[in-house]
Amino acid sequence: MKDKLKVSAAPHLHKKGESVSKIMWMVVLSLIPAGAAGVFIFGLNALRVIILGVVSAVVTEALLQLFTKNKITILDGSAVITGLLLAYNLPADVPFWLPIIGSFFSIAIAKQVFGGLGQNIFNPALAGRVFLMASWPKYMTTFSAPFSYDAVTSATPLALLKEGKILEHISYWNLFLGKRGGCIGEVCILALLAGAAFLLLKGYISWHIPGSYILTVGLFTYIFGPRGFFSGDWLFHVLSGGLILGAFFMATDYVTSPLTRRGHIVFGLGCGLLTAVIRLWGGYPEGVSYAILMMNAATPLIDRYTKTRIYGTKFSNP
Amino acid sequence: MNSAQFLAILISNVFIYIVILSRFLGLCPFIAISKETKPALAMSFAVTFVITASSIITWVIYRFMLAPLGMTYLRTVYFILVIAAFVQLVEMVIKKISPATYRFFGIYLPLITTNCAVLGVAVLNIDMFFVNDKAVPGSFSYSVFQGISVGLGYTLAMLLMSAIRERLDFCNVPKCLKDFPLAFIIASIMSLSFMGFNGFRF
Amino acid sequence: MKKLIKEFLKGIIKENPTFVLALGLCPTLAVSVSVRNGIGMGIAAGFVLLGSNVIIAMIKNIVPERIRIPCYIVVIATFVTIAELMLKAYSPVLNRALGIYVPLIVVNCIILGRAEAYASKNSVINSLFDALGMGLGFTLALILISGIREILGSGKLFGYTIMGGVEPALLFIMPSGALLVIGLLLGLFNLFKKDRA
Repeated sequence: MKDKLKVSAAPHLHKKGESVSKIMWMVVLSLIPAGAAGVFIFGLNALRVIILGVVSAVVTEALLQLFTKNKITILDGSAVITGLLLAYNLPADVPFWLPIIGSFFSIAIAKQVFGGLGQNIFNPALAGRVFLMASWPKYMTTFSAPFSYDAVTSATPLALLKEGKILEHISYWNLFLGKRGGCIGEVCILALLAGAAFLLLKGYISWHIPGSYILTVGLFTYIFGPRGFFSGDWLFHVLSGGLILGAFFMATDYVTSPLTRRGHIVFGLGCGLLTAVIRLWGGYPEGVSYAILMMNAATPLIDRYTKTRIYGTKFSNP
Repeated sequence: MNSAQFLAILISNVFIYIVILSRFLGLCPFIAISKETKPALAMSFAVTFVITASSIITWVIYRFMLAPLGMTYLRTVYFILVIAAFVQLVEMVIKKISPATYRFFGIYLPLITTNCAVLGVAVLNIDMFFVNDKAVPGSFSYSVFQGISVGLGYTLAMLLMSAIRERLDFCNVPKCLKDFPLAFIIASIMSLSFMGFNGFRF
Repeated sequence: MKKLIKEFLKGIIKENPTFVLALGLCPTLAVSVSVRNGIGMGIAAGFVLLGSNVIIAMIKNIVPERIRIPCYIVVIATFVTIAELMLKAYSPVLNRALGIYVPLIVVNCIILGRAEAYASKNSVINSLFDALGMGLGFTLALILISGIREILGSGKLFGYTIMGGVEPALLFIMPSGALLVIGLLLGLFNLFKKDRA
């Protein structure tokens, strides 16, 4: 009996036949279509970035666990997810060392420093991306054009919007299929939604965070449109940038998001609000990674104020 | 004086240039007292109050005493003296009203004087809102408002940090990184994420 | 004499103000963008520390207990003003680079911390050596941190390019990089301390 009552950090599991590593590998599986689409759209350079990202994340994790004499847990798939998500958040034509350094930062600084899986405060992949963004902005904002397969660069739709250029040549349909400049894993909405649907149907993620996140972004960008109130192009904002990737695969990370349903909705609202604010008025064209990281920082606070009530008791002061 | 100016001061101090994370002012108590939320909040309210009040006092001293007399080079001495006296006053009041809080702050309450944020904001106000020792229009209200917003930003960072560190109590952080080092690394990532607001404009 | 040397040496490693006592971090992080700034700040703060420690050790018996902190601060602020005016006169470039952090030496916790913890309890000579050691320890810490940040963040040391061809990581000359470097260095120091103990 004593063995069954373990106090530990998240993720907590209670379904039969589930384990942390099984869920992790399922998430990896659900991410494959988006990556495949990215490789199809941007060419083999994208594949190189993905492989470098994943391999260096796994190697870093193994080396650090060896060094600190901990159990080596690279087979649980969490390092693979981190490397994969980081690579998905990079442009396809970055130099080879960029994903390596990024993965190292993600695993070493944002994860192992906190004690490893389940204990990190910030989403490691996003921390890695923001680190790269701050260090080498030149490479992080040079995107290759879709289906060019060589070094033809193009700006992302959101960057064009920020510069005030007209966007008539990009149709919603092209945005949905991923025919646009952008990061490897974020462009093909169709593939992302397929993966997300799989996770939702299997019950690995709930709709609360992605739903409230996307809804808030849509609503906010609709209300504060460029031509006065209620004139925004909300569909464009929902389909472009890293919103879908972020909302379904990164904001829903078990470890760095709140525990309760109520907390999920607050978290999604906050992410949506921050994303929209950065997109509309910030200096950067895209705000998804910053927004999720900021809400990661607020997660312990949200958890405290959305604690579920113990049955039969009154709300106690947190 | 217009509302856009005020909004700019508010946004930039609360979100973009949080004093702790971008100017490193008030870092020592930020790291030392942010282990639990309650004292962290009490500390940041105290800091907010002191910053606001000292913004008022130092502005008045600078405008009506140092600038007309041409003694502006003595501002450091005067400012820190006023702030120290004021903090001593606050300390005595807290000691009277809430001995428990007082005991908890221990060494850090007198050190509010040496909280760089307080003097830093006073000096910043002078640097920003005085041109050649002449107050710009609206200078006084800008200074006070800047004091309040810096305090709010401080409180926000303190609140987030303390909640995070309370959660970390349950984690098996590598021994050599416990407490201070980890707090700095968290602050670093927080500062990275707040960079998202860079270049903010309406 | 042996005791005096001990007082001097303790500030450098065993009680290094930055890494062990974790005092005076604000200027450490803010000005350590380049080694030149770091050394400038270290010398300015060391000068103020030396002056104030000696004066405070002299007046410790005259000052009433209750108002000792304001008194110490006035002493410190006077030395800061001297340092500020000298910097302005002899090295305006450095003065501009250090910006508001020069007047802020006054609230550098190292200085008031040493005044309160050491100079107010010890003799003038001891305080002098304590200040010398602490000042040197602070300067060395600044050189270490600013060296790391300058090499990683701009690929230079003392303004000379030493890492040609490698793209420096801009992060390290940003505030966030400063926090990261100090966090990791503190961790390293802890590791080192544990091994020796």
